[in-house]
Amino acid sequence: MQDLKASKKRMSQTQAAWLLLAPFLLTYGLFLVYPFFRGFWISLHDWNLLAVAFNPDAKEFIGLRNYERVMWGRNIEWGFASPFWQGLGVLGLAASAYLRRVDRLSRFNAIALGVASLLLVVLPGFHPGEEGRWYDRRFWPTVGNTLLFVALAVPGVTISALFLAAALNGETRAMGVLRTLFFLSQVLSVTVVTLIWQIMFSPRQGLIANITETFGGIPINWLTDEQFAMAAIVIATIWWSLGIAMILFLAGLQDISKDIYEAAALDNAKGVKAFWFVTLPNLQRTITLVVVLQIILHFQVFGQSHLMTQGGPNDTTQVLVRYIYQTGFRDSELGRASAMAVFLFVIMGTFSVIQFIIGREKE
Amino acid sequence: MTRSYYWLILGLSIPAFLWLLPTLWMVSLSFQPNEVLARTTSSTFFGLVPLPFTAENYSALFAFGQTPWWFLNSLIVSVGMTLGVLAVSTTAGYALARLDFPFKTPLTIICLIGLMVPEQAVFIPLYTMFADFGWHNSYHALILPRMAVPIGVFLMLQFFRAIPKDIEEAARLDGVGWLQIFWYIMLPLARPAMMTLAILTFLYAWNDYLWPLVSAQQREYFTITLGLASIQSNFAQSEGLGRVMASGVIASLPVVILFLIFQRYVVQAMTAGGSKG
Repeated sequence: MQDLKASKKRMSQTQAAWLLLAPFLLTYGLFLVYPFFRGFWISLHDWNLLAVAFNPDAKEFIGLRNYERVMWGRNIEWGFASPFWQGLGVLGLAASAYLRRVDRLSRFNAIALGVASLLLVVLPGFHPGEEGRWYDRRFWPTVGNTLLFVALAVPGVTISALFLAAALNGETRAMGVLRTLFFLSQVLSVTVVTLIWQIMFSPRQGLIANITETFGGIPINWLTDEQFAMAAIVIATIWWSLGIAMILFLAGLQDISKDIYEAAALDNAKGVKAFWFVTLPNLQRTITLVVVLQIILHFQVFGQSHLMTQGGPNDTTQVLVRYIYQTGFRDSELGRASAMAVFLFVIMGTFSVIQFIIGREKE
Repeated sequence: MTRSYYWLILGLSIPAFLWLLPTLWMVSLSFQPNEVLARTTSSTFFGLVPLPFTAENYSALFAFGQTPWWFLNSLIVSVGMTLGVLAVSTTAGYALARLDFPFKTPLTIICLIGLMVPEQAVFIPLYTMFADFGWHNSYHALILPRMAVPIGVFLMLQFFRAIPKDIEEAARLDGVGWLQIFWYIMLPLARPAMMTLAILTFLYAWNDYLWPLVSAQQREYFTITLGLASIQSNFAQSEGLGRVMASGVIASLPVVILFLIFQRYVVQAMTAGGSKG
């Protein structure tokens, strides 16, 4: 300690704090806070990537026109235009009210389900009236595809991860090895995952096709068939991101005390029964957390669609981030792309806030 | 061990094997000759056994093509980003967790609110900024944006908060300065947390795709992730399936090795990161 004392400078706590904070605050301000506001600024302009690169004055301030061009259209009306989704929304509203009444859902989850159902009733109701049209015909279908992807991938990952975690929640070596095997694909990059699955799904060279043919079936052209393309990228995604959900569930399972299981075992609740009546209710908050995290994660899907199907066939796997990327960097329309990025941020930000609230509750 | 336990392990081994199958297949294809693969990918047991065997795809990768160069780029970017994130996160995390100064609480909130901002919401303005500076196609362009993401500060802040106060107080009584306490006492204590953060950052850097895609347009500055994406779209025609698969194996090797050695830290890191973000 002697040399420490000798080398010490007289520096107040405040000075030390600012000195230590300076590097982070500098990068944070420059590369996150400033770009964030600059993104709004760009979204208020008619901003062509190439034109502005040559001449910084070639942008024009147009207020909220970009948002209108992206999200709105001529003669947009509201009504019961898509009975399926709106009907589903009504059912969801009823379900959330009922499940809350019989106390199968926490208040938080009931509100979340209710709001989601309400949005399902309201949003699909907008449609162009007579002589009307959307200014951007691809935007809402793209959002729809993204939501469909989320709606397929999230339950797929969550349910399989939950069962795996419940089954592999043990200290033995065999279980450890199995956990490792299921987790391994999680560390691969999106390009490796898509490389593997592109060829897995290939109708001529793919493993799936080879096996199908051996058993006399006709191989499916997964990636270029409108019916199967979305399923294909969902399967690849579930394979890729199961591990993290499983780990989060394992952590949640560790928090359930052994006593509860012992008490339940006395009441003859073992195995599946114990899982249903003890594990699930005690894990409800972890499940919500995993679902929210997965929604945030999968809403940002880009690589799977960009590399496996190029958004096709016929735009059926076009997703929001890929549309932003293309609008910005292929069509050079940075203003419109930024307006979509702001839309993305609003949705993701909402879910981040929800995640934060759940995290808070947990403490 | 009961009988039902063995049935459980046996029953789960089948899905676990299926889970591993795609990866095994990639590795197996990478060891088969391109001429054979052009004809069929299921030579021996659906192609899962690399017979006929060749290691030519790997030697070809190192003889021609840019894969070794991309690999090196990835290494430089990932190590640089990891060191950078560690530096700014430990310092800021320590200051916010252990020091008292004016505006500390609002500053902490400001620093952490950035956790809500996804990369996809800022990549366009970042692109225009870096273009204005003339920074694209460089290592610092690939590294710098990640240093602004507050996840590291958040992790270090939580770690430093959990350390008992008396450690510092004893040192203060001895007249040790704040920076010395940080450097000589706190940093050594923080090694496990730094390890977790380092692995989280390295994995992110190695696997990141969107930002390198917009920032690095010259092939010399491609990372391996980006380079692999650029050759996979036309694998059949140009390079040959075996060689593309070999690139995929090479691209995955560092992260898989990292995972197998530091499994506990990787799991911790990914849990802490919440997602791949």
